[in-house]
Amino acid sequence: MGRLKSVWVYHVDAGSCNGCDIEVLDVLSPYYDLERLGVKIVPNPRHADVLFITGPLTRQTRIMIRKAYEAMPPKPRIVVAIGTCASSGGIFYNSYALYNTSPQRGRDRLRSGGPEMVVPIDMYIPGCPPSPEEILYGVAQLLGIKEKKMKGEYWIALPPAEEPGRENEIKFRIPDRPIPLRYWLTLREELRRVVGYYDRDAVLNDFIELVGKAYEEAPDNPEEKLHDLITGYFLKEKDSRVKVAMRFLENEFWRLVREYREWGEALREKYPVTAGV
Amino acid sequence: MAESASYTEKLKRWDRFKAEKFSKKAPVTTPYPFIDIEKPPEYRGIPHINPEKCIGCGACVNACPPDALIMEWDKEHGVKRLTYNAARCIRCARCIEVCPTGAMEPTTRFEVATDNKEDLVEVVEHKLAYCEECGEYLDFTERQIEYVRNILPKDVFDAYALEDRIKLTQEEKMRRTVIKLRETEGNVYPAFMLVRETKDDGGEE
Repeated sequence: MGRLKSVWVYHVDAGSCNGCDIEVLDVLSPYYDLERLGVKIVPNPRHADVLFITGPLTRQTRIMIRKAYEAMPPKPRIVVAIGTCASSGGIFYNSYALYNTSPQRGRDRLRSGGPEMVVPIDMYIPGCPPSPEEILYGVAQLLGIKEKKMKGEYWIALPPAEEPGRENEIKFRIPDRPIPLRYWLTLREELRRVVGYYDRDAVLNDFIELVGKAYEEAPDNPEEKLHDLITGYFLKEKDSRVKVAMRFLENEFWRLVREYREWGEALREKYPVTAGV
Repeated sequence: MAESASYTEKLKRWDRFKAEKFSKKAPVTTPYPFIDIEKPPEYRGIPHINPEKCIGCGACVNACPPDALIMEWDKEHGVKRLTYNAARCIRCARCIEVCPTGAMEPTTRFEVATDNKEDLVEVVEHKLAYCEECGEYLDFTERQIEYVRNILPKDVFDAYALEDRIKLTQEEKMRRTVIKLRETEGNVYPAFMLVRETKDDGGEE
């Protein structure tokens, strides 16, 4: 577009939940200050170069969107879709209230839906809602300040034994852990009851590190050693949620060890000869 | 005691002054579009599929509320494709929560705006396992089978003779079970012959 002139923007709501509208207001606040880039919100589409659309395009709003688009001066006529709903229909994509004429009702490869059904869109800013930085990045990309960073990816996941030949072929790898995979899976699933997804992996990684250490240093009595190690971990750690999660993990781990041992013995009693039943 | 920094320290590592490259005093307005910044580690950016770990089980597809993740089946060529589209993703992180291998990775990527929707698509193509007996592709991938081999203990595999049956379709498994049952009962005749005999006897009487 070049930098010949300040960009004037008309913001229109196509039935959004107002999350994205609030983020657009945030971008105009002094901290993010979109206006220093020359962007100005105008109250009339006839003055606007750019149309900001938020929302998934309900049937009631589609005529208004079309009218606002046609009222803009014909030369730049740039449309920016702000938010996941405006990019593809978002979580409402197959709702009865939406205007969506895409062939597979929005389940195609590009996830068609939203205002792109009635107007051509020049910039997609996904996010639910997009944080102000994301909107700034999208606008900066339109103005030529920032470069595009996303790239479509196509990976071919190879079966376990095969070696990669081409660039996008990826070999299968199960990460090495000091505890068996089923213990890791069960602990990870049980841990969902105590902490959220973000803390979960960090806590579990710390825990299995301690387990590996306990079995290495005291193979005769790992239970007591692990208890000592976790008590030592508590001295360093200040977050009480992590402490609760660690104690929980310790109890669960020994419960699992005992349970699996019992099952193994029962299985061995039931099938003393293990050569195909 | 773990040598690494404690968990709370890891969380606190992000600092606005460091991220936005100020030395001492920050002006109110962020200099963002003219510099590169990072989001804090707990920021929910778009998730990323790690193709090294992904087994193509489709747990994330079941969990995804807006169908940003879809499984495409192609049984003729023996592949299934896990397609992720960031244009539909609402960053709820439910896929990350349910992934059994940790292949769905949370990222702090926020610079996703693009003028072409093709840039937002991420595809992982998986090879389906093949049943030699029926000449058909199974519903699950070879990676899934390998993963199950790693989960279940060796005793269970031996006790139930799973190694022979793991790559068979459901019909073939049922057929083999029936054959096995007949052998154990000591019947030399196939089932349809037995049925006809009893029916004929009943008619004569």
